[in-house]
Amino acid sequence: MDLAFTPEEQKFREDVRAWVAEHLPKETARKVHNALELTREDIQGWAKILGKKGWLGYGWPKEFGGPGWTAVQRHLFEEECALAGAPRIIPFGPVMVAPVIMAFGSPEQQKRFLPGIASGEVWWSQGYSEPGSGSDLASLRTRAERKGDKYVINGQKTWTTLGQYGDWMFNLVRTSTEGKPQTGISFIVLDMKSPGVTVRPIKLMDGGFEVNDVFFDNVEVPAENLIGEENKGWTYAKHLLSHERTNIADVNRAKRELERLKRIAKAEGVWDDLRFRDEIARLEVDIVALEMLVLRVLSAATSGKNSLDIAGLLKIKGSEIQQRYSELMMLAGGPFSLPLIREAMHAGWQGDFPGGNPTLAPLASTYFNMRKTTIYGGSNEVQRNIVAQTVLG
Amino acid sequence: MDFDFSDDQQQLRDAVAKWVDKGYSFERRRAIEDAGGFSREAWDELAELGLGGLLIPEDDGGLGMGAVEMMVVMEELGRGIVLEPLAQSFIAGAVLAGHADEATRTEWLPRIAGGQALVVLAQQEKKARYRLDVCEAQAAKAGSGYTVTGAKSVVPAGDQADAYLVPARLDGKIALFLVPRSEDGVAARGYGTQDGSRAAEVVFDKAAAALVAADGLPVLEHAVDIGIAAACAEGVGAMDKMLALTVEYLNTRKQFGVLIGSFQALRHRAADMKMQLELARSMSYYANLKLGAPAAERRQAAARAKYQLGVSMRFVSQSAVQMHGGIGVTDEYVGSHYFRKLTQMEMTYGDTLHHLSEVSARMQDTAGVFA
Repeated sequence: MDLAFTPEEQKFREDVRAWVAEHLPKETARKVHNALELTREDIQGWAKILGKKGWLGYGWPKEFGGPGWTAVQRHLFEEECALAGAPRIIPFGPVMVAPVIMAFGSPEQQKRFLPGIASGEVWWSQGYSEPGSGSDLASLRTRAERKGDKYVINGQKTWTTLGQYGDWMFNLVRTSTEGKPQTGISFIVLDMKSPGVTVRPIKLMDGGFEVNDVFFDNVEVPAENLIGEENKGWTYAKHLLSHERTNIADVNRAKRELERLKRIAKAEGVWDDLRFRDEIARLEVDIVALEMLVLRVLSAATSGKNSLDIAGLLKIKGSEIQQRYSELMMLAGGPFSLPLIREAMHAGWQGDFPGGNPTLAPLASTYFNMRKTTIYGGSNEVQRNIVAQTVLG
Repeated sequence: MDFDFSDDQQQLRDAVAKWVDKGYSFERRRAIEDAGGFSREAWDELAELGLGGLLIPEDDGGLGMGAVEMMVVMEELGRGIVLEPLAQSFIAGAVLAGHADEATRTEWLPRIAGGQALVVLAQQEKKARYRLDVCEAQAAKAGSGYTVTGAKSVVPAGDQADAYLVPARLDGKIALFLVPRSEDGVAARGYGTQDGSRAAEVVFDKAAAALVAADGLPVLEHAVDIGIAAACAEGVGAMDKMLALTVEYLNTRKQFGVLIGSFQALRHRAADMKMQLELARSMSYYANLKLGAPAAERRQAAARAKYQLGVSMRFVSQSAVQMHGGIGVTDEYVGSHYFRKLTQMEMTYGDTLHHLSEVSARMQDTAGVFA
């Protein structure tokens, strides 16, 4: 047992830190550190910078052009990016669809899709949830009918994150109604500019447009866009989940946001209120405990000696922590978390924020936005079912 | 970064687990509790396994092992809610090996390692609650040695111990002394505690003492941090077992014609118990692996860990009793004894609110496992 990273890992961390410090646009980092609105250019700009370095697909093996990093190296990379204030890597391309294409796609599909994902040029979206299929994803009804060398797709996807920017989309669609619901699902990718695709942004309670409805009205997709075999899509989607996924905990971002919470608490005078500071202290312990949990998973993945089947715990704790820091930040802002001035959430706003501290402008919105974290990716109640299954059988 | 146990550590775990399973049955434990809460025979058996000298250097008659080995042993003792306070030998062994003079080392360390001597930390004072810098006991120079005068409370196995590590003020400053129970002026009044083990009020009246450390507070803090790390591991073992008992009960008890483990309200509570257990295990690793870190870092880690353990131990123990229903609150059922143990451990070396305030006072701008 040893808590320390190896000298090689330390060196790796320092190299990543230096590179990120040199290449991450200062203005982008400032926005991230203050939760100001990120534009598409901010997000994709950073993705392309990483792509040029070969680090956007940071979890990819070397044979597909990735850096071939270990689980620990990937963790250190994520941490250095998060602490430096880099925008999150939008996972749908490099983290979600790419591994499926690598594992189940044909060589032609790999050649066709992976370069655009690796470079950050092509923005991918996810088509999983439907209005009638949330936690019960396998009940999805969007149909893909094979007609000659095409599939014709009809139906609706929803909660498609940043789908308004999407170029391509990977979807779980129903290709059969025989047998169990899971066995009639296929994994199909499509060009979002295809005729019959309509993207409609959904306004959320924070006032932002982060997710979308996507409608398919007789959308024709070439049959070669089927990944793997027909009716095996559920297996492929689960393959994604079976990967060791410590990033689901988002502990590195939580560490950065804890720093921000402390800055806000000091600026607003509640740092000296012991009742308030104790709440921050509780959160600090939560975050350290979550980080230890993540490190244990990484260690197990590295040595392969003891498997730690605790992805559900990481999701539950990580999401609760995200909600908690956003809540405490809003409460630290006190009465000046109340003014809703959207322009103040944009970089470069020069207005006169009520109370005089414009960094409070996004706090309530962020709190509203974070309610999603215990709902998406398998609600925390579903996660508890999964954990209970491993504990109780 | 590596959280695997070595083969040697696994063997150590197996050896202790075997003794707990075969040698420390619930019936035996109950008999020991009824007889006062401490068994010299059981203590000797632990000593025969070599456990008393775990943290004592080989030159001093010990095994020269470290925090991870201590953690492994304490997890297994926690699983069996063993009453005999082996952690005290870890504390005394580390403190004396690190600070005592040659004569004291030679006299005491081999006997602590061999189990012939039980040396316990006697730091608690009436007005101190969990603070270590509150100390009214006084020490004075007497010839070539010292004497200690004062009263210490809730001293583990205090009327069974052979000697005490006692903080007392020497010229106003907290120093640490070793006082044998056999010295004139030492009086111990023993009693049982909530978890079935034993403690004592110990009064020192000009009792002859050996100086261990003149600058005693940092040493006392280190001693308590060893105690905290050991308690964390012990708590993990006890919680592990208590969750296992609960799982077994949920999967055998039927009501309304079905296993109660099929009810989602109970399943989710079991999932939450697993969460608290794994957070606690993570923080136990953290506290133990930080025992060798510089003092400020070590203290911070101990406070964070004990806070987490306090939260976890209370949740796991309360949930387990609740999910057992009526049987859970009976003395007859083994689970209630785990409840008592976990409750006592929350209040050992600082309760949850105490450690929260420690964490709160120590917070820096950045925070994490490595900061």
